[in-house]
Amino acid sequence: MHPGRQLGVLGLVFVVLYLLVFFGGGASGSFADRLHPKLGLDLVGGTMATYVASVQGGQVPTKDSMEQARSIIENRVNALGVSEAEVVIQGDRNIVVSLAGKSDDQLKDLASAAQMRFRLLIGVTGDVAQSALNPATATPSASTSAAPSTSTSAKPSSSASAPAVNASPSTGGQGGGEVVKAPSPSTTPSASATPSATATPAADSTAAVPGQEEVTPAEVQKKVGAAAWAAAQKLTAPVDLSTDAKAGLAYSAFGKLSGAEVNALTPDMQFNIPTISCTQLDDRPNGAIDNVDTKVAACYNGAKIMLDKAPVVGDDISKASAQLDSQNGQWVVSLDFKSEGQTKWANLTRQAFQATSADPCYVAAQTLYSSIEHCAVAVVLDKNVISAPQIQGVLTSTSQITGSFTAVTAKQLADQLNFGAIPVTFTAGPAQTVSATLGIQQLKAGLLAAAIGMALVAVYAFFYYRLLGSVIFLSLILSGLLTFGALVFLGRTVGFTLTLAGIAGFIVSLGVAADSFVIYFERLKDEIHEGRSPRSAVPRAWARARRTIISANTITIMAAVVLYIVSIGAVQGFAFALGLSTVLDLLVVFLFRHPIMTMFANTKAFLSPRVSGLGRVLRRAQTEAKEA
Amino acid sequence: MARNGLADRLYQGEANINIIGRRKTWFIVAAVLVLISIGSFVFKSFELGIEFAGGTSFSVPAKTSAGQELTQDEVSSAVDRAIKTVDPAAEIGAVQQVRSTGGGDAYFTVRAPDLTAAQAEKAKATLVADLGVKAEDVSDDRVSAAWGGQVTRQAVIGLLVFLVLVMAYLVVRFEWRMAVAALSSLLLDLVLTAGVYSLVGFEVTPSTVIGFLTILGYSLYDVVVVFDKVQENTRGITASSVRTYSEATNLAVNQTLMRSLNTGLVALLPVGGLLFIGAGLLGAGTLKDLGLVLFVGMGFGVISSIMFAAPVLSALKDQEPKIKAHTARVLARRSAVRSGDVAPRAERQRQPNSTESDEAPALAATAPRPGARPTAKRNTNRSGRPGGAGPRPSGGTKRR
Repeated sequence: MHPGRQLGVLGLVFVVLYLLVFFGGGASGSFADRLHPKLGLDLVGGTMATYVASVQGGQVPTKDSMEQARSIIENRVNALGVSEAEVVIQGDRNIVVSLAGKSDDQLKDLASAAQMRFRLLIGVTGDVAQSALNPATATPSASTSAAPSTSTSAKPSSSASAPAVNASPSTGGQGGGEVVKAPSPSTTPSASATPSATATPAADSTAAVPGQEEVTPAEVQKKVGAAAWAAAQKLTAPVDLSTDAKAGLAYSAFGKLSGAEVNALTPDMQFNIPTISCTQLDDRPNGAIDNVDTKVAACYNGAKIMLDKAPVVGDDISKASAQLDSQNGQWVVSLDFKSEGQTKWANLTRQAFQATSADPCYVAAQTLYSSIEHCAVAVVLDKNVISAPQIQGVLTSTSQITGSFTAVTAKQLADQLNFGAIPVTFTAGPAQTVSATLGIQQLKAGLLAAAIGMALVAVYAFFYYRLLGSVIFLSLILSGLLTFGALVFLGRTVGFTLTLAGIAGFIVSLGVAADSFVIYFERLKDEIHEGRSPRSAVPRAWARARRTIISANTITIMAAVVLYIVSIGAVQGFAFALGLSTVLDLLVVFLFRHPIMTMFANTKAFLSPRVSGLGRVLRRAQTEAKEA
Repeated sequence: MARNGLADRLYQGEANINIIGRRKTWFIVAAVLVLISIGSFVFKSFELGIEFAGGTSFSVPAKTSAGQELTQDEVSSAVDRAIKTVDPAAEIGAVQQVRSTGGGDAYFTVRAPDLTAAQAEKAKATLVADLGVKAEDVSDDRVSAAWGGQVTRQAVIGLLVFLVLVMAYLVVRFEWRMAVAALSSLLLDLVLTAGVYSLVGFEVTPSTVIGFLTILGYSLYDVVVVFDKVQENTRGITASSVRTYSEATNLAVNQTLMRSLNTGLVALLPVGGLLFIGAGLLGAGTLKDLGLVLFVGMGFGVISSIMFAAPVLSALKDQEPKIKAHTARVLARRSAVRSGDVAPRAERQRQPNSTESDEAPALAATAPRPGARPTAKRNTNRSGRPGGAGPRPSGGTKRR
């Protein structure tokens, strides 16, 4: 390629990069503002939030579970971007998270629980058509709800212990005289009445429900009235309002219940009572549908759905990852199960796959998707049904969740799955701002170190390579500018933050970048030494040096990629920086040094010892030629 | 032909230092150093920073009881003094000012190494007296490591995956013996650097680990460059009987010696800048930690690529039957030359370097002139001679 063309390509890279810096990736503010890379916690400070752990019974959480929670939260923080956030355990039950810059919003959800459940879809009915009933009062609102909110204890309630369990005639339950008969034979209450420890809802800031204390079915019964309650209890199937618009009237009182009150009903009631809307279901406390041993009612795509017990849970997954399906170009989440989980998953999918058209799950799946031939399994995360894919075979190995994922949502789901469940519940404290730990003084010192280092390299280069030193010098400046541009842009788009260690790393990498020039130049000396003219030596030296430089840089890039994929936290940030600087080094070597040297070799000055530093080699080659 | 000084010969790539011939010496030195390092890991372990080991976090109000605002530096130095009264060797960590977004009083948090309850009480008392703050506003709390065990574990897994991949790459790009030599030299670098840290008792911080990982790439970079030249010099070597594999390797090392020193210097200059500023002006912190580990590691990297990687390679190569036979043939031929059966070659005129090893006479007597075109190189046909055939007066006269 013509040297001019290579320089042209480099120029193009430059222009594109700086256009991105100034106009791409959500740039805003004045031009000077757009030139700021995202600096790390140690240099500019940031936001800090404290999460207080609570365990049922008010005990002190174990060290192990705190450490586990710490690493999960750290994972979540790191999923926000390549920033070097800090997560530490303070005292017995606090986890303190610090993030660079202003990031209150990001800190909010970090400690919320994520419970994954896989449940067979066994029933579908439409969401309540609000207007068909009493438009004025049907919308449940927190203010009109008579939820007993005298106690404002923030302690998470064990509301996940589904009322179906407590209401069982055999176990008595807290309902006292109001024994709730299971409306449908399939919902015989399970004997395990103890709420599972992991089913504790998070009483964190995301919970939108006021007064999150347990509501007993008795209270709800009082509220809706005995008649409506009795009618609701008799329901064995959802009331279809489309055939009988007035059928809903008997249950209108249920339409005014709060989320917590709805949660006190059995899942069957929640599902069957036509006046309970998706809005109400979504308002249930966190953890409302976590119990693996009961059926649950939920919402999906604007329809109310009934889900079976959860034989497979998030803990059964060993690894989840977002992948692009090469066949149809769609994003999917690929799941690997632990060995025990794999068996359970195979059983569940067998049940779904082999269901005949008489099975409730088959009917339900057909209601939801008209063109379906097998049952669907809902993927439930916390309170939300993420996806309810049709099962297309007995899955005995890696499985995929398909759905309308984008690259971002697929990654998000995979991350959430990987995070698993936090064994303790956290309450987020208010966000606080923290100052930089190192501050401007250290930053200045770092930049001074950079300047000194660069000056030393430049002096050495000029001393040793004479005018060719200027090529080194220029390419260092070029690398610096490219790196800076990339940092600004990546800081905005992938949240790459620059810590002092990062700055030092880049300084060092610039020094290492000068290395590839030395290889090239020493090679050139060899060629001239062997008696080649400088002009013919340049392409030959380039051909050999290129091979060496590519091999050596391949190894570095390999290290960067492997560490980036495998490692977490600060090491990942480092790997990112390493990869970036190596790629930029290659760019400068190919698009700047080589064409410049080629052009240089065609000038007279190149042959002058004083200019190129090749003098001694050249002189010697000439003497030897004469001797011969 | 000019008789030049060492510097000049280095510049010309013909220092002609017998490195491979003394490989036994290098191996012994390396083995001793590795043993010392491992001994230090076992008996002395590492000085882990607060980020790894956790510690005590002090909260200090930003206002004195007299209502005066404190600066971050004042608090930092006061805590440092207070901690030093209970544990003279302790270094304090990050100092931050914390302010609630909704207003309220600001306070500082300072990380210090793990202290016993009594020590923390004493330090607190010193601090209160020193800064003039209210005693009840100063609190201490245990903090966990910011750098969790999981980060370390994942980093180690990453390291292992990388080593496997790089091994595969080097096997494809070069051959398995070179891959083994390169990796053993890398491991030597890492072990020795860690050894220095353990032995001297430098504190290990996250910056140290980051710097440590940087050495990975750098060390292999150096080795690849040397091996690239070795590969070039030894291509088709068995077809001629001018020099043994070890000699060709030695030649390559000599030819790349100047480059190794140059790149070592160029890479160490900015690191030296970091170290100078970090340790000299600031005393402690990120810059010093990073500068130190890189300085040590890169130093070892330059030395080991010359003194260890190439000798290991030649030792491995000498075990290969083909190379073994070839070496024997070259040596036999050479002794025949010496006894006058075969016409001496141009190389004879060069003065032998005196060496003690078994191979020394062979190596020295006909050591090809470093910087000479390797006999078995591609493109030698330009002068009309069949490539790799060897008997070319490559020493004294230059083809032109």
